[in-house]
Amino acid sequence: MIIDNLFLAFGEVFALNNLMLMAIGVLAGLIAGSIPGFTITMAVVLALPFTFGMSPIEGLSTMLGVYVGGLTGGMFASILIGVPGTPSSIATTFDGFPMSRNGRPGLALGIGLWASFFGGLISAVVLVFLAPTLAAIGLEFGPWDYFMLVLFALTIAASLSSGAMIKGLIAGVVGLLIASIGEDRVNGAARFTFDFDALGAGFAFLPVLIGLFAFSQLLTDMSDSEAAKKPMIAGHQAAVRMQHRESIIEIFKHWGALIRSAFIGLFVGLLPAAGSSISNILAYDQTKKASKTPEAFGTGTPPGLISSEASNNATAGGALIMMMALGIPGDAVTAVMLGALTIHNIAPSPTFITSQPILAYGIMVAYFLANFMTLALTSGALRGFLLVTRIPLYILGVVILLYCAIGVFTLNNTTFDIWTLLAFGILGFVMVKNGFPLTPMVLGVVLGPLAELNFARAVSTSDDYSLFFTRPWALFFIVMALFSAFFPLYQNAVKSGKNWARYYGVAFMGCAGLPLLLMEGWFRTGLGSVMIVLSVLLFLKKRREAA
Amino acid sequence: MNKLNRDAIIAILLLMLCGIFFWQTFYIREVPFSQVGSEIWPRVVLVLLTVLSVIYLFKSLSEPRPETEPFSLSGWLKTYRNPIICFVMFFVFLLALPYLGMLLAGILFVFITQTLIGGATPRRLVMHALIAVLAVGGMWSIFTYALRVILPGGELFY
Repeated sequence: MIIDNLFLAFGEVFALNNLMLMAIGVLAGLIAGSIPGFTITMAVVLALPFTFGMSPIEGLSTMLGVYVGGLTGGMFASILIGVPGTPSSIATTFDGFPMSRNGRPGLALGIGLWASFFGGLISAVVLVFLAPTLAAIGLEFGPWDYFMLVLFALTIAASLSSGAMIKGLIAGVVGLLIASIGEDRVNGAARFTFDFDALGAGFAFLPVLIGLFAFSQLLTDMSDSEAAKKPMIAGHQAAVRMQHRESIIEIFKHWGALIRSAFIGLFVGLLPAAGSSISNILAYDQTKKASKTPEAFGTGTPPGLISSEASNNATAGGALIMMMALGIPGDAVTAVMLGALTIHNIAPSPTFITSQPILAYGIMVAYFLANFMTLALTSGALRGFLLVTRIPLYILGVVILLYCAIGVFTLNNTTFDIWTLLAFGILGFVMVKNGFPLTPMVLGVVLGPLAELNFARAVSTSDDYSLFFTRPWALFFIVMALFSAFFPLYQNAVKSGKNWARYYGVAFMGCAGLPLLLMEGWFRTGLGSVMIVLSVLLFLKKRREAA
Repeated sequence: MNKLNRDAIIAILLLMLCGIFFWQTFYIREVPFSQVGSEIWPRVVLVLLTVLSVIYLFKSLSEPRPETEPFSLSGWLKTYRNPIICFVMFFVFLLALPYLGMLLAGILFVFITQTLIGGATPRRLVMHALIAVLAVGGMWSIFTYALRVILPGGELFY
């Protein structure tokens, strides 16, 4: 079945038109990802208006090209100028830049490129086999479980908001509120229009997204008047050439770091709302801990570079699995893709892979292919990157502001959407300046309708509200949400040496084991039992150690 | 308790926003035979937002006030000069759009904004003008001729 669908999808993805669009997408992603301050999300968001006139598979292939290209492109600036092109390549600077400064920029770029490729490839293989399984599990979800899954996604997005948990939660809930403006999707009644007709249909998703992510980001980047007028780098790296053969040898020498980091990236991608900005640092940290020479990290060691680049590309596969199997975006980019699918009247859910097999497997094939295209096009893009970074930021920024306006206008052919863009651009800018994270808010906007729909379904199906807390999957997501909400407190407790932090992991294992124990099927029940027994044993051991 | 800091002011504004939106939920039309009223979900969200805003308010009041320089309008304007230019110019661009159309208004927006941020030396003026015409004209052509999207033409040209 999988093989048949893959063959059909191959036909769609390998159409000449689609290949050309993907190549353009990869090139655009490589360039956009490499420019410091321009995030991958921004690049995918800007590509979205161009995809309106395309078929869903063409549109998504193009965006996937931008996505994968952007993830790899982030390494150019990280390695050559020591400034991360995107947040997903922060850890690349730790060893990539020292390696470049030590006179080996070609090797650093080669290792980054090939690690990205292998990381993406591992992730693509897992995507093909895991997405249908996860979707099958998703079919067990009732509206109560789905509602709690959305809650978990918002909580985890907030908990990852680097020390601003409460602000992250507020941003997520404000996103839910924004999503409730306009016509109610359950009953069709207008809400919060304040007698303003244009608000009757609510805010279109795209202008909100571009306003929050692209518009506000550009203005933040241009805030420094002096820096905005200068080119990003001088022209001394013009002659950089990648050392492919040496790079592949280095990667195979450190295959353990590659595999571990790819799986860390994949796992982080599976978590709703957690993206490559987290996975690259996590993978780097784990590789350093596992290394026999941790003191070499930060001085230009290949495993550090491999772990960062392999993990950030692998995250994309994990995020796509969540989007396709459950309709929950794994990161901000897949939130945009979810929006793109909605524009084509396609709503990913657990039935998506079975009801739209060619499109679903087409996404998987396109993701696979995008990794190969990135590999092929990187050398050319490197030259483009070196050219683009000689343009002062304000010139690029102002032009892109106007492109944002043209892009959102094409959605509904209405200037109201451009006003929305401006309003959310200001809101996003003010939020960032006051320490409010934007990702939870965007997730709130994306997931708001899904949350409301499932809330309404749950409430109208049964008067028993306890089902929100007693059904195994709902309970599982509550446990995950609570533990992710308390994660920042746990991190602080570890730093300050608080005693209760010793039991956090054990408590999590025991609590997560309980809903698994209650689920159907011997595997999950068995796993749940083992987790509970293990947690009790570990708890007793830790108590003995503490005494 | 500390004096109001920026976080506390934001928390109070959020609480006011919650109040206004909650009041608006009483004006949402009741749909006959619906099992879940259209006002229920927004109220759930607003209650959640209110609780979070109250926590945020107490947290911001209980934390020590960060050492900051006294507020000065000129300093603030200097810090946010570029974003303010962009916002104002984008606002003016939107006002001009129905009259001038996307192409002309776009070219003017890019040219004037770049000149205000980057400076108005003769060399820069020429460079900004070239970039404005090529970048906006190019994108306008792609949408109009390649993608067949009709962008606003402007009243002046009809």
